[in-house]
Amino acid sequence: MRDADEQWPSDAELLRRHVAGDDQAFGELFSRHRDRLWAVALSTVCEPEEAADALQDAMVSAFRRAADFRGESAVTTWLHRIVVNAALDRLRRRAARPALSAADGQAFEALAGPEGDPAHTTDIRLDVDAALRILPPQQRAALVVVDMLGFSVADAAVILDISPGTVKSRCARARARLLPHVSHLRGNRSASESVSPVQGGDT
Amino acid sequence: MRGQTTHPDTDALAEFHAGLATGRRGAGIAAHLAECDRCSALCDELAGVSALLAAVPTQAMPDRVAQRLDSVLAAEVARRTDSERARGDSPRHRGTARRPARKRGWRLVPLRVLAPAAAVVLAAAGYGLSQLPHGSGNLASPSSGAAGAARPASGVVPAARRAEPMSPASFPFLTSHTNFLPGTLKQQVEAALRVAESARATKAPPAAVTACVRNVAGSANALMVESARYQGQAAIIIVIRTSKGEVALVAGAGCSATHGKPLATTTVP
Repeated sequence: MRDADEQWPSDAELLRRHVAGDDQAFGELFSRHRDRLWAVALSTVCEPEEAADALQDAMVSAFRRAADFRGESAVTTWLHRIVVNAALDRLRRRAARPALSAADGQAFEALAGPEGDPAHTTDIRLDVDAALRILPPQQRAALVVVDMLGFSVADAAVILDISPGTVKSRCARARARLLPHVSHLRGNRSASESVSPVQGGDT
Repeated sequence: MRGQTTHPDTDALAEFHAGLATGRRGAGIAAHLAECDRCSALCDELAGVSALLAAVPTQAMPDRVAQRLDSVLAAEVARRTDSERARGDSPRHRGTARRPARKRGWRLVPLRVLAPAAAVVLAAAGYGLSQLPHGSGNLASPSSGAAGAARPASGVVPAARRAEPMSPASFPFLTSHTNFLPGTLKQQVEAALRVAESARATKAPPAAVTACVRNVAGSANALMVESARYQGQAAIIIVIRTSKGEVALVAGAGCSATHGKPLATTTVP
């Protein structure tokens, strides 16, 4: 009878096995986190093909650099860091391209549809995806990692390779910028639409 | 009006909410919020942005992306294996003491069971993403145990021409969540077979699978058996070697020792 670690090895154990030559370990590790890694890639680059490219870059990089992992963070944090870096690299490379395009939107819709989501869930996600696109990439990446994926500020700082204070700052600005675009999704339009974000107002 | 003439802007409120406004500035905003319903509501809405984002379900990776990454991963594994061989290095011997059976199985599969050179085509997609949607997939070959040892290599006799019934434990078996489709069956099977040389594993297939394979494959040599999906339904993909080449057969969930009419077939170049 195999012990628990054999049946459900930890991420770190899988990475160790991969480095030791186990051909299946990395695939199992990546599979565990694939949906979240996909989410962070897609949300960061906002375009499915680009996200797939970024995730592929990241996967290959992690596969080859696994021996460099020193255990200073959780394996999942390390994986997310590589994916975010790959996604931001992709964005830098395509910097000259327009951030928004009809084709991107259609591609998003095509991707969101067939997985069996309830319609309203898909609608909300599409709205959120669209709103996220208005953000600068660095802010978007921070917001996705912290608010969408639920990483702590400390882990997000590792993933994004910035200070915790910068994580907070980017997230704060991103939330402020996003607010007018997502308020309707929460059914509370009043404050964000009636208050202009300017100083000197008078009640 | 509560005596406040200047509202913080949304950025300032967001920074305050994130704990970034400290000292006198933070105290000033806090005092303002205590008196201004509008800014207080705005602050609540900012908190609501985080709540909304947290509530949006994470989108699953599309199958086509998973399959693409599978292929890339398989190529990476093959590249590493080739590189190790070229160096005469073998990291497999490092740190794998916990899994001696698997390592032994890997050695036994090509050397003892499928020694005829033409038949050394094993599927090894078990480590892939589409095959391991949530880390639960496994590649299994029964050949590490007595069955493998009891079936010595037949030397020069091609496997497909053997007349004896196939041993119940003579094929590599893997499970996956891959959804094989009619339009891409050939390509999907090819993708699984392309990574053949890395195959290694330990477990025997369930008896029902073995019975199904014996029924469907007859005396032909099964090169790979994969428990997966076909058009979204549970299915068993069986790749056999015949005198005319390799053929993939798709058996439905009801496949057994007595019922095994394939749902689909395709040749594999």
